[in-house]
Amino acid sequence: MIYLIEKFKKEYLGRSIVTVLGIVIILVTLSITGFLFYKGLGTFVTYNHSVWEFLFSSEWKPADNFDGGGKVGAAIFIVGSLLISFLALLIATPFSIASAVFMTEISPKLGKKLLQPAIGIFVGIPSVVYGWVGLTVLVPAIAHVFNLPYGFSVLAGGIVLALMIFPTITSVSVDAIENVDNGYKEASYALGTTRWQYIYKVMLPSATSGILTGVILGLARAFGEALAVAMVIGKMLTFPDNILSATNNMTAEIASDMGNSAQGGEFNDALWSMALLLLIISFIFILIMRIIAKKGEEVK
Amino acid sequence: MGRKMKDVLAKSIIYLATGITLCVLLFIVGFIFVKGISLVNWDFLTRDYNEKVFYAFVQEEVVPMTIDAASLSQKDPYDKRYESSLEGPIYIENIGAAIAKVAYKNNATEKEQFVFSYIEKDSPLLSAIDSTGKKLSIGTDYILESINGTDFEGLSLEDVAAQINHETGELKIKVVQPGGGVRSNIITTLYMVLVSLLIALPLGIFGAIYLTEYAKPGRLVNIIRFAAECLAGIPSIIFGLFGMAFFVVALKFQISLLSGSLTVAIILLPVIIRSTEEALKTVPTAFREGSLALGATKLQTIFKVVLPCAVPGIATAVLLSIGRVVGESAALLLTAGTVAQIPGTLFSPGSTLTVQAYYVAKEEGNIELACAIGIVIIVIVIVLNILSRITSDKLNVFNKK
Repeated sequence: MIYLIEKFKKEYLGRSIVTVLGIVIILVTLSITGFLFYKGLGTFVTYNHSVWEFLFSSEWKPADNFDGGGKVGAAIFIVGSLLISFLALLIATPFSIASAVFMTEISPKLGKKLLQPAIGIFVGIPSVVYGWVGLTVLVPAIAHVFNLPYGFSVLAGGIVLALMIFPTITSVSVDAIENVDNGYKEASYALGTTRWQYIYKVMLPSATSGILTGVILGLARAFGEALAVAMVIGKMLTFPDNILSATNNMTAEIASDMGNSAQGGEFNDALWSMALLLLIISFIFILIMRIIAKKGEEVK
Repeated sequence: MGRKMKDVLAKSIIYLATGITLCVLLFIVGFIFVKGISLVNWDFLTRDYNEKVFYAFVQEEVVPMTIDAASLSQKDPYDKRYESSLEGPIYIENIGAAIAKVAYKNNATEKEQFVFSYIEKDSPLLSAIDSTGKKLSIGTDYILESINGTDFEGLSLEDVAAQINHETGELKIKVVQPGGGVRSNIITTLYMVLVSLLIALPLGIFGAIYLTEYAKPGRLVNIIRFAAECLAGIPSIIFGLFGMAFFVVALKFQISLLSGSLTVAIILLPVIIRSTEEALKTVPTAFREGSLALGATKLQTIFKVVLPCAVPGIATAVLLSIGRVVGESAALLLTAGTVAQIPGTLFSPGSTLTVQAYYVAKEEGNIELACAIGIVIIVIVIVLNILSRITSDKLNVFNKK
């Protein structure tokens, strides 16, 4: 009898411990979200700015004190972030998909031996390394090629980010392509298609949902990267005229000014609002990924 | 024919794209190695970033020079850190060492200094002690500042040599160990890895056990999964801000090892949960059923059957986590600081290798040093990659059986 009670106790204990720890994960997420909302809403609640002004005005002159009265239009930073991230995606996606196809279909042996370890290293290199390689190689190169006084530009930021998100998109795409039913391939070849026709008309369409997940994962990473972009973006408070002009983005602004502004002041609160926006955008990316994944499952 | 042509064309495009990708990677790694390799040596790994000034007590003892004059001048301390060798080297018998005058370059400031260029095997410098009697070692390229209170600044090398030869008995010499190393950053990185894993590993593993073994599919599990997914998707700068405002300011942990580790632990949670979950899922259900059929409780089954089988998966999770900690910059910059020192307690700040690399490149513009740190980081990344490949192969081998 005592043995049974002991056993029950142990079972119960184990169960409750793991349950509690599972719930801790929810709490951590909730507390981060809650905290950012609490901090980020200050701009709108305490300093009476409208969400409209924050999102669509480009006048960024927040007062670094507790009186408020400055301008908190963050449109330049938002546009900068969007532009750089999409440019990075535009550059990285073709290379990622090509590499993924190479690794899975064209030469799996070479892919496993050469490309996969290379991508592993690509992932592991800290983003700041990409940042300063961009700063010392890319920025002067852009200035030289396009005959500009400085090479700090949207293009530089886009290329640096593209390097960083390339491994993410590639590895997710490889998984997606590997999951394509082998029967498709056999059936397709049996119908007399060439390898390219199979890849282009059968394999890629059936791996689309997986590849899209990778692309959005990459976009999310690009959106949230801070220090590497801050090094090459130029930090100019203007809308970029073209991809060769300098601008600023949300993460770079947060990283550079969060420490220099008075806690709880208007400037500080506006930066927290930007962080909140970043969080909301990353949640939106996650939701989109879930929807794509669900659709992919339904198709199967 | 057209179809074939298209096939070949597409293939060559893919080869080209893959080739470009590999070239870019090679270029980046190559760039870092070429720029930084000249700085990487044993001293770089074992010295602190900041110069260290100390007083050493040396018993004066005449040691004749054992090498000839030609090879002494070969022992010019000229290297990357010196702009030029100005005078020297001159052998000084009563400390058994040669000194040269050089223009010493450190973090963009330049100074004329006296540097040990050669030390005899029997030199009393090698048995120097500090004021508490602890043994010190003075090596070549240490900077000599003064002996017995006589400051050498502005003197010529001959004067200094004469000055030292004039001294007798116990000499009190002020030396500077040159900085520019990353020992403190390596140790901080290790501490950071250790503390954050200590926090995140139990949480993550138990969370994964709950998700795979206990939880019945339902709302709670979905919420936990979603929460973990959200955590994985949040940019690291937001974790940094959260850590700064919550751990550093609200909980008053200061900018410290602890704040940094707690912040990184949150970043690691989803990584560990996902890899552990994958590993637990690969353990065949038959194992669990067999164990339960033998009368084991669920807890016993988990701890004695399922977890041991999933060890390679958990090891992979640990390696991935170490990689994340090593590579993390934005979050740690805000929570653990940029002070290049070994944190004495959990509440003192310290910069990891990556943060130091960022700081050196950004604030001091010293790309060579940043690249040298980059080499250390890349080597760590490669080692972690190889190890994780081995562990995940182990998991696969087990599954094939």
